[in-house]
Amino acid sequence: MSTSAQTFGGQRHVNLGFAILIFALYVFLLVPVVTIVGASLTNGLMIEFPPQGLSLRWYEEFFARQDLVDGLLMSLRIGAITAIVTSAIAMMAALAGQALSGKLAGMFQLGMTLPLLVPELLTAVGLLFFLYKIELGKTVIGLQFGHILMSFPYAYVSITAALRQVPPSLEEASASLGATGWQTFRLVILPLVTPGLAMGAIFAFINSFDLYTISLLLKPLGGNTLPLALFDFLTYEFKPTAAAAATISIILSIAGVGLVQKLVGLQRAF
Amino acid sequence: MTTVEVKSLRKSYEDFLALDGVSLTAESGQLVTLLGPSGCGKSTTLRCLAGFHEPNGGDILVDGESILNVPSNRRQFGVVFQNYALFPHMTVAENIGYGLRLQKLSKGEIATRVFDVMKLVRLTGLEDRLPREISGGQQQRVALARALVLKPRLLLLDEPLANLDARLRDEVRWLIRDLQQQSGITAFYVTHDQSEAMAMSDMVAVMKAGRVAQFATPREIYQKPTERYVADFTGEANFLTAQSVKPVGEGRYAVHVAGADIEIDGVPGLAENAAAELLLRPESLSLVSTGDAATFEGEVIKCAFLGASLHCEIALPEGGRLKLTAPPNHAVTEGDRVGIAIDLSHVWLMPEVAP
Repeated sequence: MSTSAQTFGGQRHVNLGFAILIFALYVFLLVPVVTIVGASLTNGLMIEFPPQGLSLRWYEEFFARQDLVDGLLMSLRIGAITAIVTSAIAMMAALAGQALSGKLAGMFQLGMTLPLLVPELLTAVGLLFFLYKIELGKTVIGLQFGHILMSFPYAYVSITAALRQVPPSLEEASASLGATGWQTFRLVILPLVTPGLAMGAIFAFINSFDLYTISLLLKPLGGNTLPLALFDFLTYEFKPTAAAAATISIILSIAGVGLVQKLVGLQRAF
Repeated sequence: MTTVEVKSLRKSYEDFLALDGVSLTAESGQLVTLLGPSGCGKSTTLRCLAGFHEPNGGDILVDGESILNVPSNRRQFGVVFQNYALFPHMTVAENIGYGLRLQKLSKGEIATRVFDVMKLVRLTGLEDRLPREISGGQQQRVALARALVLKPRLLLLDEPLANLDARLRDEVRWLIRDLQQQSGITAFYVTHDQSEAMAMSDMVAVMKAGRVAQFATPREIYQKPTERYVADFTGEANFLTAQSVKPVGEGRYAVHVAGADIEIDGVPGLAENAAAELLLRPESLSLVSTGDAATFEGEVIKCAFLGASLHCEIALPEGGRLKLTAPPNHAVTEGDRVGIAIDLSHVWLMPEVAP
């Protein structure tokens, strides 16, 4: 009786400790988000938390600034193209990776995730020289290349994980029923990896939206992505407009995740 | 109506010889079982037939023509997998209609043929369920229907019952055999379960380390195995070393065994005094009182009541033990001295070393 009571007591302590830890983690993760969203709603002139009165004036200010809006549009466009192109290439790469076996497969896997392992600055400098060589230096296409390269590993890892969940016998069954390789891919593989594919596209988009170093080095003449425009802005003005811009990014991310959830279900993506 | 001839098929991986000259034939409408422990090459043989593996040597002839250069999607063989391999995102009806859809048939015709085959495998009413919403036995019936609806030239079954519980196994087993016989389709069936193999097959290939140890009817592999491995794998078996083997006719020998002189059938072609052993199945032995009717005498060392029968183990004075089954009410206990009568028509002489 007493021992079981003690055990329960002990468990309660453990549970309490666990709850505190989880709470602390969430605070750590969410405080910056809450702070920046709060600060964007201020009626005052400084980025501060808690906000001084509530207003949407800094959002108005953001959309009135041509340089920031241009940055946002550019980031959205590059992010969207990155998401589409990256997930298409990553899908093919994941299929290729699956077809390999043994040592070769490990090396392929490593190669595909290399952009994550090499410092971004190094990749950016290398790419800069390369793009000048092929006369794409300081162009939007060059910047687009950089973003696709940097976002590729995220999409690749996500799609590979989804592909691994598909038993090989499904492909064999499909073939034995008369399907060509392409038919098997379209009717069996693709529908089953769609959640992973969508997740990969979202990862690629968010990563592209967030890239700074590579954008700084490869940015086209007269064009800025949102992070670059924001940094330029903050160098001279420390206004809540920046907080509003950050909040808009957050809303876009949440909208993206919500879209995946709506279309394919997030729990199926992992 | 399809005949199949597998000719000395070889398949090797980097450091492993999976098939070392497998030869088999299937007559039209036969169900041929590949029986053996895991790693014996039975699944590899089936996968070569299906076109999932490419053999390194040998040939597979279907109706006299080699199919090695035909990709698996053009072989027109139905394959049923151990894990069912149903498409999880398609309903039962969509799974079954998959092959028909690939053939670009009209929606109406697909629906009719799917309906017919579902009736055949007793799945009517489950059309709109997803595979995860039905039981294992039903899933395997969907897999079977999916293969059969295309009227394949050949049906290949890879341990289709292994994931089912005992009761369902029996039910699906007879369904497979009935459908196979009704449609007259030639089939290959892979299993490691000897009773399944015996009950369903027209022919059984007992496989051992990438080779066919014996290819014969279920009756023959049980009663007239060519080697100890086959005898062991096909059921409970006793072996006694035979002495002074003497051929007395075609496949007929006089031997001295455990103190008795008997004349029995055996593998043809054994030389005089060849090293050979006697196969005695438990059901060919019976307990009698010591005396004239007894071929051997011995002491009961173990006796277990199994309801329908008694299982006894008897030690012979010359060394060697015999397992036998006796009627359940036979009065015998451990330590008794008993006589054993053998049904000579069910005893079989085999060479000690496989040919």
